[in-house]
Amino acid sequence: MAEILVYGAVISAIYAMLAVGFTLIFGVARILNLAHGSFYALGAYGVYALTADAHLPLFLAAPVAVLLVALFGVAVERVLVRPLRRSTLAVLMITLAVALMVEQVLLLIFGSEARNVPSMVNATFHVMGADVSGQRLLALSGAIVILSGLWFFMQRTRLGSAILAISQDAEAAQYMGIPSDRIYSLVMGLSAGIAAAAGVLVAPFQTVIPGMGLLPLVKAFAIVVVGGLGSIVGSIVGALLLGYTETIIAFKISIEWSQIVSVAAVLITLILRPAGFFGKRAAF
Amino acid sequence: MRQRIVSLLAAGAAVALAGSWAGAAFADEKPILIGITTAIQVQVGRDCVDGAKLAIDEINAQGGVNGRKLQMAVADEGEAAAEGPKTGIAAVNKLTGEDHVDVLIGGYDSGVTLAELPHISRAKTIYLGIGSASPAIQQKVKDDYEHYKYIFRVNPINSAKQAKGLLDYITGMLKGELGYKRIAILGENAKWVQDMVPAMKTGAEAAGLQVPIAEFFDVQTADFSPIFAKVKESGAQYLMIILSHAASDVFVKQWYDAKVPVPIGGIDVKGQDANFFDRVGGKAISEVSTNFVLRAPLTPKTIPWWDSFVKAYNRAPVYTASGGYDAVYIYAGAAKRAGSTDTDAVIKELEKTDYMSARGRVQFDDLHEVKDGPGFVNELFVQWQQNGERKVIWPKDVANGKMIMPPWLVQN
Repeated sequence: MAEILVYGAVISAIYAMLAVGFTLIFGVARILNLAHGSFYALGAYGVYALTADAHLPLFLAAPVAVLLVALFGVAVERVLVRPLRRSTLAVLMITLAVALMVEQVLLLIFGSEARNVPSMVNATFHVMGADVSGQRLLALSGAIVILSGLWFFMQRTRLGSAILAISQDAEAAQYMGIPSDRIYSLVMGLSAGIAAAAGVLVAPFQTVIPGMGLLPLVKAFAIVVVGGLGSIVGSIVGALLLGYTETIIAFKISIEWSQIVSVAAVLITLILRPAGFFGKRAAF
Repeated sequence: MRQRIVSLLAAGAAVALAGSWAGAAFADEKPILIGITTAIQVQVGRDCVDGAKLAIDEINAQGGVNGRKLQMAVADEGEAAAEGPKTGIAAVNKLTGEDHVDVLIGGYDSGVTLAELPHISRAKTIYLGIGSASPAIQQKVKDDYEHYKYIFRVNPINSAKQAKGLLDYITGMLKGELGYKRIAILGENAKWVQDMVPAMKTGAEAAGLQVPIAEFFDVQTADFSPIFAKVKESGAQYLMIILSHAASDVFVKQWYDAKVPVPIGGIDVKGQDANFFDRVGGKAISEVSTNFVLRAPLTPKTIPWWDSFVKAYNRAPVYTASGGYDAVYIYAGAAKRAGSTDTDAVIKELEKTDYMSARGRVQFDDLHEVKDGPGFVNELFVQWQQNGERKVIWPKDVANGKMIMPPWLVQN
């Protein structure tokens, strides 16, 4: 029971980091970003390359990797997405192309074998009767800090208010003098950075392989469908729901069955409540 | 002057004639083409290619086979977990249909190999398997010899026989030497494992052990903590694993990080990689994995072969390296004895193979399956120990080290 509570919290926290960025860029810029999983993979590979190849200390490599991926996110938005933003289909295609390209480039540079990212915390902790690795607890606390920081940024700063204004009514916000293009770039960078941070935090205990971005994309997608596309609160609730359901099934039934949860959740939500729990209207 | 022109023309004609003759002779001496079909993105695939290349270079340096040089053509079979069997089938069809290879050597995933078999049989090309372990592959030879006589398995010994080896380790080492009473069995959900887990469970229970957990998991699984929690809760004293395509790296790291109070061992194909210990930051300490070749005096050939591979490629080989190397020599020997590369003649000679390899003596049974047991190829239980050193701990007669426990169990 204690294990379900602790491991469920860790997995939910990672899912929340992935889903929040995914839903943020959709809510603000209406970009359905299929390259979101690539940011996660690039974060993990970034920290690997910076530690193993550039020999940076881990605690320096982690923020540098996140920053670089955030800049990559901004570049993707400005160079590739912005000229096509009027067409949803074109945006889908270009972000899918970015995802495929990133995977192939990682494959070319690093090969298909799993890469080792050392743990930032090597100790094992005894939490409520469960033995949990320090790295998992770091991922959990890292996610809480980052998501709280995001909430503070959105609710308490002028820039955050500008982002919210754009997400509510882009045209009206523009008339009020908010530069929408710059906001879109910023949000894309933010979204990429949060996904990369998730990648950096889980890399020491997950598989670092070129195709590692696909599953997180599927999970993020499932969570935002359940929570409501565009809703940050919905994403966090969706992440908790999916994270804990998967963990309970993995512990009580079989880990083979846990993977079906996200797909089933998407189907049920689309049938019963297409807008998701917190969505204002059906996104599709 | 005229005479000079005539003699020049005559000389020219003679040279041209000689040239065309030489050309004809060269055409007869076209190289024997060896097709390698394997998953070249992973270590087992690269080592198959490099092992075969080493053998080809050695044979060519000694003058080739029947006066012909050996040449290699490689096609990528893909990673089965990601791509399924389609890439493997395309690789076989390319090598047989376009390159017209004389023999195919390779294989890694049994599901892929099984899907390739009808294509290999249709192309009437000899196939020397060096990586896939499912018994269903060689069963085809028994079921329909005429169609599948082309299929041989040089390496490894099949999964049913490997299961027997695992059972021997369970009863001899775990129960006999360590006195364990409860073990858990965990296998990836892949073709070659599906028959193994139930057989091991039945065998272990028949030997008087309790098996509270015998489960499969998907090869894409990235979080093993629920499994470790279950194993811990079950009171199992040892966790037997069967992994090949799954993420062994992550499995071992999560096991070490959570300090799971149960030692692990069994078949971990990626755990056989020479760089595995370093790749997981030393977290494979005390993990036991089966292997077929190691730098130990298994046969008089083992250490010299191991050293020549390391010298050529600057890394230690995995089991498919010796498979690829041996397969080339076995084919070359059969072609030499047959005096040609005629498929049927070579098959007859392959069936009579008696070859001393670095892994043990290679002979084929009626199913064209490599024989195992004392004197033949053996399944070795090899443990990762301090500083990434590897020791054979079972079977007893070839062991060169003692079993160690995970560090957190020693301290307790």
